[in-house]
Amino acid sequence: MGSQVAPALGRDVEGAAPSVIIKTEDLWKTYDMGAIQVNALCGVSFQIERGEYVAIMGPSGSGKSTLMNLIGCLDTPTRGEYWLNGRRVSELTDDELAYIRNKEIGFVFQTFNLLSRATALHNVELPLIYNGTPAAERRARAEEALRTVELGDRMEHKPNELSGGQRQRVAIARALVNRPSIILADEPTGNLDTATGDEIMALFDRLNASGNTIVLVTHEHDIAARARRIIHIRDGKVARDEKTGR
Amino acid sequence: MTAREAFWIAIEALRAHKLRSFLTLLGVVIATTTLIVVMSVINGMNLYIATHIANLGANVFILDQFNWATSDEEWLKERRRNKPIKLEDYSFLKENLRGYKNIGATAWFRNSFAVRYEGRAMYDVQIRGETPSMIDMEQEQVGTGRYFSQAEYEHSAPVCFIGRDLVDEFFPNVDPLGKVIEVDGLPFRIVGVAQKIGKTLGQSQDDFAQIPLTTLQKFYSARPRLQVHVQAGNAGQMLELEDQVRALMRARHHISYQQTDDFGINASQTIMGLWERLTGSLFAITIGILAVFMVVGGIVIMNIMLASVTERTHEIGIRKSLGARRRDILMQFVIESGVMAGAGGVIGVALALIIAKLVDMVFTASVPLNAVLAGLMLSTGVGLFFGIYPANRASKLDPIEALRTEA
Ligand SMILES: Nc1ncnc2c1ncn2[C@@H]1O[C@H](COP(=O)(O)OP(=O)(O)O)[C@@H](O)[C@H]1O
Ligand SMILES: [Mg+2]
Repeated sequence: MGSQVAPALGRDVEGAAPSVIIKTEDLWKTYDMGAIQVNALCGVSFQIERGEYVAIMGPSGSGKSTLMNLIGCLDTPTRGEYWLNGRRVSELTDDELAYIRNKEIGFVFQTFNLLSRATALHNVELPLIYNGTPAAERRARAEEALRTVELGDRMEHKPNELSGGQRQRVAIARALVNRPSIILADEPTGNLDTATGDEIMALFDRLNASGNTIVLVTHEHDIAARARRIIHIRDGKVARDEKTGR
Repeated sequence: MTAREAFWIAIEALRAHKLRSFLTLLGVVIATTTLIVVMSVINGMNLYIATHIANLGANVFILDQFNWATSDEEWLKERRRNKPIKLEDYSFLKENLRGYKNIGATAWFRNSFAVRYEGRAMYDVQIRGETPSMIDMEQEQVGTGRYFSQAEYEHSAPVCFIGRDLVDEFFPNVDPLGKVIEVDGLPFRIVGVAQKIGKTLGQSQDDFAQIPLTTLQKFYSARPRLQVHVQAGNAGQMLELEDQVRALMRARHHISYQQTDDFGINASQTIMGLWERLTGSLFAITIGILAVFMVVGGIVIMNIMLASVTERTHEIGIRKSLGARRRDILMQFVIESGVMAGAGGVIGVALALIIAKLVDMVFTASVPLNAVLAGLMLSTGVGLFFGIYPANRASKLDPIEALRTEA
């Protein structure tokens, strides 16, 4: 199975400027728990432009992860629309969604989600495997990504031979390796101590400075303050949308 | 994702669960081993038949009391009514048959016999009485010395022509020619030793002593039962000669037009025909057993793969979150299943090679290459096939649901 077919690019969305990379409109997500229905998201609408550095803040259970999973095309909304790079995500096929997850979005999870049996290098190579990058190029690019996160000397280590901060850096290298247009990070420092968390955040700062669009979820003020814009979420709704002045 | 990557993922997964994988594979291993061992035994026997029966001498057919290749009920009938072939029949044929290259007669007197030399004894030696012409129609070849002569035959001389086993037993360091051995109490002078033939179907073919048929008559059995061997000049003359023999024998035995023969004419084709029918059914049974084992093995593999999919749901979630498509996950698990079963096939082949070697020591077996290939292809195929269902399940997992599962 060779390379994937790219979904048609550049279909313009009504009212959205070309620089808008993420646009959500009245997103709802309802979890059906049988007896009760949990509304994790209740009509979330916002736009994010190319190159922005956005923090999504809110207390635990406010719906941040739910929102991130929708933006990352890992989940589908109960209601509402979502445009990514000008394409209406609800219209995309399974393969097109896989392509987006592979090429356009780099997702960083709170719990790293690394393959425990694979080396750092192999973990970083994974996204490249799924778009048919030849082995030699794959290896070179994975090594480069690991060097970007300053793990050039830990490539053959397995996750359990790495510290938490190092694991998260492997995950970030993996998110970067396909040069996605957006990097999504759901509480990337949530499982790390403060010092390590600062290192990771410095990495995100650098990535944004070099042109990456970054959306990260956090419930810590210090972390959110590093972004240039904070979207506050409360009870599944956008409570406030502010510029930090950075 | 390429098949090669899926292959390495599969190898990795198998290494992580060696014992479980092996237990899973028992069915496939047994099936593969059975297939190859049975095919090896059949093949070994084929080789035996080809070298020892089919070539019982070029263009030779045998007149015997019975047909060798026949159904059980036919044989019961023949047993009641067929008459033994006697010396008179042989002389009669020798007189009246036209156009043959060679004719001879042989008689097994008794199957096991004590042969002695200087206080040592060998039992289970085949004693055969033969006409001098038989040396040209059987597989034995003169090694040293000679076969007994026409003169010795006519004078019922106490001479013998022996197989290598007797030499090894009695004359390990001495020239046996001219020595006198005792066969059932009577002295026989050795005139020749046969070339070594070897074992077939686990039986030594070198434990014989051949004496002139007339000598056998004189000392042991006045009216021995014979087999008459007739050799044609070429294959084209065989049928014509068989017809002559049949007509002559029917006339001698006064068999009317409607009655069937009361003797058997056996050519190597008859034996081959019987053999082919036999191996045909043996093979059919094997295929049946094989199918059962393969299906059972396949179902076990399917269950293990289903368990593996459940166990690795989180991994599948990770892969999907990184852009794995359905078909990538499908291929990963189908190939894993195929590789696992293929590994079972390899183990099966290894076992079969060992077993075939052991069988060959006591009986006969020769591993044909295509049995090995068939075994490997079949086992891998079973794995691929029974991997489809679990792999399809894995491929349909929802990425976020899969990710939420605990690793
Ligand atoms: N898979 C799920 N099934 C049922 N309820 C869920 C599920 N995921 C999240 N929720 C609920 O949705 C709400 C939002 O959760 P989440 O998006 O994880 O919040 P956050 O990431 O802000 O802590 C919570 O009330 C949570 O209990
Ligand atoms: Mg969360």
